Amino acid sequence: MILTGKILARVVVVVILGVILQLSFFSQVALFHVSPDVLPALVACFGLLGGTMSGAVAGFSVGLLLDCLLIAPLGGGSLVLLATGYLAGAYRERFGLPHRFAAPLLCAGLTFFAELGFGAVQAMLGELNSSVSAFVIEDMLVKSAFAFFLGWPIYAGLRRLLRPALVEEPRPRRRPTAVGI
Amino acid sequence: MYRKQVRRRRAILALLILGSFALLTITYGQGSNGLQRGVSTIFSPVQSAADRALKPARDLVNWFDKTFDARGENAKLHGEVETLRKEAVAQKSAIAENDQLRKILGLDKSVIPSGYEEVTGRVIARSPSIWYADVTIDVGSGDGVGVGDPVINGDGLVGSVSAVTGGSAQVALIADGSSAVSAKVVPNGIQGLIRPEVGEPGVLILDFINSAKHVHKGQDVVTAGWRAQEISSGYPPNIPIGEVTKASILEQEAQQQVRVRPFADLSNIDIIQVLTGGSRG
Repeated sequence: MILTGKILARVVVVVILGVILQLSFFSQVALFHVSPDVLPALVACFGLLGGTMSGAVAGFSVGLLLDCLLIAPLGGGSLVLLATGYLAGAYRERFGLPHRFAAPLLCAGLTFFAELGFGAVQAMLGELNSSVSAFVIEDMLVKSAFAFFLGWPIYAGLRRLLRPALVEEPRPRRRPTAVGI
Repeated sequence: MYRKQVRRRRAILALLILGSFALLTITYGQGSNGLQRGVSTIFSPVQSAADRALKPARDLVNWFDKTFDARGENAKLHGEVETLRKEAVAQKSAIAENDQLRKILGLDKSVIPSGYEEVTGRVIARSPSIWYADVTIDVGSGDGVGVGDPVINGDGLVGSVSAVTGGSAQVALIADGSSAVSAKVVPNGIQGLIRPEVGEPGVLILDFINSAKHVHKGQDVVTAGWRAQEISSGYPPNIPIGEVTKASILEQEAQQQVRVRPFADLSNIDIIQVLTGGSRG
């Protein structure tokens, strides 16, 4: 990703808007008793479009802002989301731009990974003093399903917004089909 | 050139990871810090505005969710309505009598103990992960809110304040993994500790019951609010917590626990009251 002042401003607006929308809207609605979590998908899309560094930095920033606004111990959200962004970026660097279903599938998979990560951080901090219900797995799976459907528009929107900054590999040209002889 | 780029990338990544761990180490257990206070001061008005602006959209989505549930519950509720109608007639006369007695005794705010003042607030943010049952509210130390203050809503106990900034505060709900509330069953007074089942905000566990008496389904659970010389519970006594939903004798004797459904709908909280000025245990 080629960063200019204008692109950086767009990235900052997307990060702030994403976190505020998550906290004020998505976290407070429930479908099938589960609230969608769009932040891992947003961070994954940054990684898929910009590579490992963009993903990691976006993840760190989103996590830091999230922890600040939730008045939670700083660093936990950053650590999980930077790993999420990095993994998405690693996919991009290894396999190139994702194909049609790859972006939403990765968003779903990385949302599951991030939710596991949040649980691991809470356990690491010793804040998990109670028994854990099996419902947690169901919640994480439904969240991943939401991320699959939300990942699509997020990826498309972000790609459109950051298009001038993206380094896109040229797609292999289609062979011209022979018409008649 | 390429090698230099790779080295720079690795350095940034290492810096970010180390930064995360450093932040965790420095800020863990502090409640809130300068950065959070600053960011919270800037974003609180934005969050409040977004919260209000998005309320109709949230209500619409939640309406769909509740409609799915309501269809399943409809048949069950028809039966319950008939039973409740009979009970309601009997209760109306009891309520009228109770109101009169309260007026006589001046106990209109009997749930809120003396020495406490209520500060009304609104939930402006909620943790996105199921592992954390935390909400952020739009009142903070500037309104008299302090760490440890109990938080209630119209139905009962919601949680307690776990961190505070000038204009906002974090409330750890009673469904949060770190929560533990000393409680008693009424009317028989059996005491225990209310703990959550992480992942199920509609289920609490009354744990460590140590009594020869047994708890029964349908009994109410309230805060115990104990006091022993210098130390006391962070919660004042007799705040409603929930209703016992499962109380098998076997579970009580083997594991010393029963299941409780919280009165407050912890997955859908909007307006809350912080009880300030207490012991803040």
